Amino acid sequence: MASEKIHTGGSLLFDVLQQHGVEHVFGYPGGAIMPIYDALYDSDIKHFLCRHEQGAAFSAVGYARAAGKVGVCFATSGPGATNLITGLADALADSIPIVAITGQVPTSVMGSDAFQEIDVFGLSLACTKHSFQVTDINDLEKVLHQAFAIALEGRQGPVLVDIPKDVQIANIVSKGNIVSTLKNKVNLPPANVGSAIAMLCHAKQPVLYVGGGVGMANAVDELRNFIDITNVPSVSTLKGLGAITPENENYLGMLGMHGTKAANLAVQESDLLVVVGARFDDRVTGKLDDFAPNAKVIHFDIDTAEINKRRVADSAILGDLKTNLPALAIPLEIRDWQQRCQQMKADFGWDYNHPGNTIFAPAVLKEVSEKMPKNTCVTTDVGQHQMWAAQHMSFDDPSNFLTSGGMGTMGFGLPAAIGAQVSRPTDCVVAVSGDGSIMMNIQELATIKRFQLPVKIVLIDNAKLGMVRQWQDLFFQGRLSETDLSDNPDFVMLANAFEIKAKQISCKEEVSAAIEEMLEHDGPYLLQVKIDAADNVWPLVPPNTANDKMMEST
Amino acid sequence: MNHYRLIIKADDKQVVLERILQVARYRGFLIEGINARVNTGTNIGTIELMVRSERPISFLVDQINKLIDIKDVKVDTNPTQ
Repeated sequence: MASEKIHTGGSLLFDVLQQHGVEHVFGYPGGAIMPIYDALYDSDIKHFLCRHEQGAAFSAVGYARAAGKVGVCFATSGPGATNLITGLADALADSIPIVAITGQVPTSVMGSDAFQEIDVFGLSLACTKHSFQVTDINDLEKVLHQAFAIALEGRQGPVLVDIPKDVQIANIVSKGNIVSTLKNKVNLPPANVGSAIAMLCHAKQPVLYVGGGVGMANAVDELRNFIDITNVPSVSTLKGLGAITPENENYLGMLGMHGTKAANLAVQESDLLVVVGARFDDRVTGKLDDFAPNAKVIHFDIDTAEINKRRVADSAILGDLKTNLPALAIPLEIRDWQQRCQQMKADFGWDYNHPGNTIFAPAVLKEVSEKMPKNTCVTTDVGQHQMWAAQHMSFDDPSNFLTSGGMGTMGFGLPAAIGAQVSRPTDCVVAVSGDGSIMMNIQELATIKRFQLPVKIVLIDNAKLGMVRQWQDLFFQGRLSETDLSDNPDFVMLANAFEIKAKQISCKEEVSAAIEEMLEHDGPYLLQVKIDAADNVWPLVPPNTANDKMMEST
Repeated sequence: MNHYRLIIKADDKQVVLERILQVARYRGFLIEGINARVNTGTNIGTIELMVRSERPISFLVDQINKLIDIKDVKVDTNPTQ
């Protein structure tokens, strides 16, 4: 039975958020969103004041990814709204369900270049799954419910709701209880499972190529059951890490530009790729025409637009992975191929021998991974440290590794860790960052301080924009253009200024004790790990090159 | 260069036309012509979109179909008429 209640637009917003189970929001107030922040004053929803709207957006992303819920962020009009845009683009590229609420100037002055007015509705077209601008208070309740339904429907994504100030103030009688869900927007054609099973049965050298869609579909159990039954050799994308049990003997690790040699060679030799929730991203395929040249493709996805977009699928199975994946779970007779893949995995394992006494970042991250508590959530920024984390840390669930995959957004890691810690207060959260990336949202240390979030920050510091420097050395004749960061601030002093305990280490014998001190510390901690600026990420598949032609050293 | 004509049915919602144009441009289709009108009785818009591209039209159709306010997309297989 619907209950009627008189609301302002602002208080109605919080009423609807609570109907959708929202307990936490991230945001930053300003003039055109003041009525909403006034309504927040009376709400039970906890607001986390970030120190930049981009931080709020990434915290919402981290919250959504760590908890499997919709993340919510607020910003005012104009610059507040434009500061959200990068976070929304990141959420769109990685299919993360976000509802972003922006204040807007009053409807009476919209379109007049009013103070702090920007057409965020127009800006949203390229960086959201959908967007609304509510110019009539009578539409607000329905639109807010739709925003949640759209964010979660089919391939998930960010939705923006722009609310002019007069709509936030206007009175309305809530209809109540009109929470709606949507079926997949696109009608999916029936899957030809029989054809796919026949291809799987005939394959001599199949490889399972797992992407972020498995976690998004909440189909990790179904995937692992599929692997247990088929014993198929498997590889993962960056965003798929955690879906496959790391200990599985047939799991070869990440594929692609910085993938393992075993993973890339197995894919190149395969005669069938079973692609699950992945999209043949260019960082995965290398030179597309030479990617898995002898393989047929079975492609599982929820998004029709991903089928045949970059690689033609011989069999497309569209829809919910939880339902579809078990249909292909059959025992396979591929013993010789399994042994070949296992041998490659053994032959091409990681080498942690590193001459000299300078710290080897892969070894540090491996040790952090081995010592961190079970169910730790790791976030990263973007660059060399990100790839080292992907290569050398182990994750037992996709929700335990949050990294900016599609957009590759520096500045992601610290605020994403804040969102993850808010959503999972009893779990350890480790933010792996670089000295370039961390400066992009360094102000969020203030958010960590304010809420005393016990985030552990592992700062891999080479005083460089390391990945760009690596490419300049390898592909631009060593012309190191604008990649020197040797004038960075003293990160220990900087963390201390935010009342965050911090330590710098620079030689190997300091590593183990420092990691233990960090993990045992009851509160936020920043561990600055000085490394050799010349260290590179290996292997590396050069641009426009087949994945089996990776570089393994200079 | 291939020429195509799309017939798109859409709910008469805010910026639906801008969304279609943005997707067409971003996905690599040059717009050669557009004709749009709304049936005020049903609030359904009909958009006739002429585009050209080296890319298969399915790339664009699949992306337009994903837009929330789109009801139907048909490809006219004889666009030169």
